[in-house]
Amino acid sequence: MSIRILRHILVMAAFVMLPLLASAQQYTGMSGLIHVPSADMDSAGDARIGAHYLDHAMLPDGSFMLDGEEYNTFDFYISLTPFWWVEIGYTMTLFKQIDNGHKGYNRKDRYFSVKFNPLREGYWWPAVAIGSNDFISSSFKVSNDDLEGNAYFRNYYVAATKHFKGAWGRVGVTASYRHFIRKGAKKWNGVVGGVTYSPPFAQNLRCIVEWTGNEANVGIDCLLWRHIFMQGSLMRGKYPSAGLCYKVNLF
Amino acid sequence: MKKILLILLILLGNISRTDAQMRPGQVDIFAGVDFNYRDIYFNGRLFDLLVYLTPGIKWNMGHRWEASAQVFIPIINQYGDSQSGKVRLNMLSLSKQLSAGNRFRFKFSGGLFGSYRYGLDVKTMFIAREWLALVGEIGLTGYCSLADGWDASTMDRLTWLAGTRFWLKRWNTQFDITGGRFIYTDYGIKADGWRHFKHVSVGAWVGYSNKLKKNGGFKVLVMLPPYKRTRRKVNFRPASNFGISYQVEAGSYYMREYDTEPEQNERSGWFDPDMLPWGPDTMAPDFISREKKKSNTEPVDSMSVSGKEVTR
Repeated sequence: MSIRILRHILVMAAFVMLPLLASAQQYTGMSGLIHVPSADMDSAGDARIGAHYLDHAMLPDGSFMLDGEEYNTFDFYISLTPFWWVEIGYTMTLFKQIDNGHKGYNRKDRYFSVKFNPLREGYWWPAVAIGSNDFISSSFKVSNDDLEGNAYFRNYYVAATKHFKGAWGRVGVTASYRHFIRKGAKKWNGVVGGVTYSPPFAQNLRCIVEWTGNEANVGIDCLLWRHIFMQGSLMRGKYPSAGLCYKVNLF
Repeated sequence: MKKILLILLILLGNISRTDAQMRPGQVDIFAGVDFNYRDIYFNGRLFDLLVYLTPGIKWNMGHRWEASAQVFIPIINQYGDSQSGKVRLNMLSLSKQLSAGNRFRFKFSGGLFGSYRYGLDVKTMFIAREWLALVGEIGLTGYCSLADGWDASTMDRLTWLAGTRFWLKRWNTQFDITGGRFIYTDYGIKADGWRHFKHVSVGAWVGYSNKLKKNGGFKVLVMLPPYKRTRRKVNFRPASNFGISYQVEAGSYYMREYDTEPEQNERSGWFDPDMLPWGPDTMAPDFISREKKKSNTEPVDSMSVSGKEVTR
């Protein structure tokens, strides 16, 4: 079923064909697609600060729950590309808890992300990146190959991205392999990927379809006035997530 | 202590000097914000905030003597302790910088420092190569708080730091490895990496202390506009920089250091950048000053790159 959906997406994208100037796996503050990492990198010196609304569909199963129900939440982040070959990010995701008798978003999970770009995109070959989200954790324990404790977003990945440009616009194709450790996130393991399209009249705009390993997501993102980067998406085609960040080059 | 004073006096008398960045006699009055946050569970808040307005004054007394003072005025205090919520004198210090030959830089400071310390402090840098410098700092301080009356201990705490700095000019990148004895008598070693951009520096560090064990974090430092300034005898301006930092093991009393002047920061370093410039001193200055000439005709502003005077 899911392979069939992915195939449909890729076929559709092949017909749609078209580049990108800004990209984001924006809920982490890093460059990428929506939920799926890519080998796209920000330019050296680029910094982002922003926030994202996360539907529960974007979160690991069983992790963000209150009174037995999964809830939607928010995160905020900063990220930086100090050199062209490395990108780092720091993200806080809010927990809704009953804390001191008060129910609300009053706790948070913190994690770091890192992405290396050992191979830049060439005429004939794709860019390649390796990276990880939530790779440092103050408390975790692995038992029976499952993670207990924190590290809700811990995953490791390798990604390849190639862009094709023409009078019709720019298309980016990404294929990644990633591995989550936490039980509720393992549904996203394996080969994932997606396609982006930027029309020639709006190079800062990207239309995105992606396959997360478990579901297909669609989204759109856009860089406005050189500094405001927005992304909106529908997880599984129906659960909305959206975010906004300020992006600036520090050079 | 007498020996320290004696050495200080000997050095002051014998070592060559260059002109200060802030013109002699000039006074800067500035204000910034000291922003602190902490992460405590079970109080119903995402963060506890402690925000101070930090007006201060610097007086360039000539020959690289400088006097400075700073007051902390609490704006937001969710930390709860009575000391944090009081208006207090945070710093009141006198410093002297000098160079020896073309490789040694020194800075001698005395007075009330940051982190509730008072006493004497000596900083030095030995420039071994364009890319390598050795640094050291030694301080003899005591506790002093003026937040709630005057509370002080004797000046008998010896702290020191020694280490190396590496400067990768091509990438405006700096790596420091330092070790020593910190304010609360713990011993530790720390490695910092700083990437300097135009007006912004971003650094990350990891450390190990015999009491805290592992710690680490990052810091973002922004030099504040305006970057072009007109200089007069008395200058009113915003603080030169704003920094915000994160550390994994927050709120601990270990691996703590003190600042000896109000605008001390990792980008500007310890010394006037025109005194044997090294490392980040060789980058383009953050601030460009126009000297306003005394004249009864139209003011002729001469552009001079003296931005280092205030911040670098």
